[in-house]
Amino acid sequence: MQAYRGKVLTGILAAVLMFTLVLSGCGNSGTNEGNTGNTGNQGSTNEPANDGNAGEKPAEKVTIEFWANKFEDTTDAWFKKWTDEFNKSQDQVQVKLTIVPGDAWAQKLKAAQAAGKAPDIMTMSYSGIAPAAKTGQIKPLNDLMDPTVFDDLYDNVKEFVTVDGQFYAYPKLVEPSAVLYYRKDLFEAAGLDPAKPPVTWAEFIEYGKKLTQKGIFGASIAQTAPDLGWSSWGLQHNAAGHLPITDDWSKADVMNDGYKQLLTFYKTLYQDGIMPKQQLSAYADAAPFGQGKLAMTVSGSWAMGLFRNDYKNMLDKIGVAPMPSIDGDQTKPTSTLGGWTLVVDGKSKQPEAAGQYIQYLLAGDPAIMIDFFKTSQFSKFSPRKSVDDAMNQDEAASADEWRKLIAEKVIPYAKAEPAYPWDVSIAFATAIESAMKGEDVTKALEKAEKTINDYIAKSKLAGTNPQ
Amino acid sequence: MKKNKTRFDNVTAYTMLIPIVVPLTIFVVIPFVYALYVSFYDWSFYQESQFVGWRNFINVLNDPLFMKAIVTGLKFALFVVPAQMILAFLFAHVIRSMGTRLSGFVKTSIYIPTIISGIVASVIFVFIFDYNAGLANVLVNMFGVENQAWLADVKTALPSIALPAIWLGFGITTLIMLAGLLDIPESYYEAADLEGAGSWTKMIHITIPLLKNVVLFLLITGFTGAIQQFELPLVMTGGGPLDETTTPNLYIFNHFRNDVLVGHSIASALLLFLVLGSISAIIFKVLNSEKAVDG
Repeated sequence: MQAYRGKVLTGILAAVLMFTLVLSGCGNSGTNEGNTGNTGNQGSTNEPANDGNAGEKPAEKVTIEFWANKFEDTTDAWFKKWTDEFNKSQDQVQVKLTIVPGDAWAQKLKAAQAAGKAPDIMTMSYSGIAPAAKTGQIKPLNDLMDPTVFDDLYDNVKEFVTVDGQFYAYPKLVEPSAVLYYRKDLFEAAGLDPAKPPVTWAEFIEYGKKLTQKGIFGASIAQTAPDLGWSSWGLQHNAAGHLPITDDWSKADVMNDGYKQLLTFYKTLYQDGIMPKQQLSAYADAAPFGQGKLAMTVSGSWAMGLFRNDYKNMLDKIGVAPMPSIDGDQTKPTSTLGGWTLVVDGKSKQPEAAGQYIQYLLAGDPAIMIDFFKTSQFSKFSPRKSVDDAMNQDEAASADEWRKLIAEKVIPYAKAEPAYPWDVSIAFATAIESAMKGEDVTKALEKAEKTINDYIAKSKLAGTNPQ
Repeated sequence: MKKNKTRFDNVTAYTMLIPIVVPLTIFVVIPFVYALYVSFYDWSFYQESQFVGWRNFINVLNDPLFMKAIVTGLKFALFVVPAQMILAFLFAHVIRSMGTRLSGFVKTSIYIPTIISGIVASVIFVFIFDYNAGLANVLVNMFGVENQAWLADVKTALPSIALPAIWLGFGITTLIMLAGLLDIPESYYEAADLEGAGSWTKMIHITIPLLKNVVLFLLITGFTGAIQQFELPLVMTGGGPLDETTTPNLYIFNHFRNDVLVGHSIASALLLFLVLGSISAIIFKVLNSEKAVDG
């Protein structure tokens, strides 16, 4: 037991220590960084390669650090492949890629930030951009990249990366957080029409009941507060037309019929045994559906990639549809568009080089991005018009029915992820979970209202919405 | 002459202390003092840190979830430590009465869980508590009970994560307890036999009092370790259902991971330090440890 005792505390203390060491070491550097850009020690390791060239000035490559979250193996491979290509394509910038596992990300990054050694470039999800921009953790990209590349973005995605009128990130992909997957064969067996998936919450419950049998649950949806926290954003919009906080972040806004119905929806699914009483896997992992344990499941669009890679024999039995909505109106949002971007660290010494790399990788030749969307089995979507245009010329992509359905029926109505602190999301999610576990719906909402209002007061949140 | 020798002794003593004092200063004392310092700031890595006085501490203390996490940590420790101690006490007696060969084998076997990482154990127990086909549900099905949501039910979640904790710590606790038992001179028991004492009387009047220091050690390491449990709830329940298994360290970790500023996490870590210190002090006080009177 001793070995893992106080790991977090140790982490914090280590971070603190590194910070102090760096403080003492920073004093005499920093003033000469403007001279040649790389008088420091970063570039030196790459020099030997060029030493042999007679007469010519040794071309010193600027080295920049890039940390990418660990995603699917195919994504990691894509990052490696195109980073190598970039390094070969020119002799100015050398990008050093590090793949960081998700559970180590926060510790590793915060320790590095505290030490002033954060990577020049890193992956960041949309919801992280506004808080990071507000606290100076990331740099605006307007001057670091060709401004025209931002015109290529869809308007709604452009908003996701804009804070106070400046672009702080360049998006790589969008993926809707909630899509309905259902088993056509089980629909038929239960006397339901496999061409008509449920469109209202009531139908979802009704079908779920009919589809439940021994060993197979009728449906599955997020059921723990940390999962509900983000996966229900779309449904919160769907139910009430807004999120559980006012636009200026000054007050909780939860007491309405829409949210009551939303909580009742989850509660019924849980209490009536339509969904398992204990989750078979986390919301983001749709494997139990692929394994045949569920008749319907709600998960993100990325589940398509999972089914296509790991459950090929199930593919012809799987139907894909937009997540049902409160009243059957499928033009109301049911999803948020999550996804990942690249950002440049606020203290990066080589922001131009970082911008150059991001431009090459995400905003340059559409073929690079198409390569990515292919490896993801078209389960992720492009934020760029030119990539979509090019992809429509691509046979495999344009023939893909699932891709088409999500691109046409889900994404256009999806909302941006909220930029407010996670505490607000988790407070509302806790209300949903406690309703599922038997708490009265109104009481659960009252508690969430109080928690959110307390949090607003405590953290002086009112009026800080950056968007 | 004598004076010189003393001085020389001191030099040797201080030289020998250096290897531990220097790393301790660098890795524990300085960071601790610095943590105290930054806990009074809205500490940001990119902007000027702002002095906020006691606000971080007040926010933590006003957070019902922090108090709940402390209580959860205590409850968890109460599930784990007594069960572990009683089991270890009994099992240590069993081992003591075994032959050398067999006891060697048993000692090795029960030590195995100790070297298994908490993460691995968590994953194993997640399979055991699986809703559809986990071992636990197969077992209760045999008695005609329907499937239980072990990790998702508010009532069973904490005991369910206490089980792997008991399993993980059982081996080392038993071995330490056994070492304590073997340390008690056989002559005490012989004398008691002559006086006609039964095994119960011997346990109450000889074994338990002479194990006091061992028990004290196990209680303090056990309690502080259990309250700081972190991986088991992180992997098995994510702190849920409804924060029932959010232990203090998981609470701190969640804030560290999600907060934009780290002041709240540092303040809660320091407060947890106070809680752990007080618990250790209480245990010392209650057991009123003195060096066992040696025969």
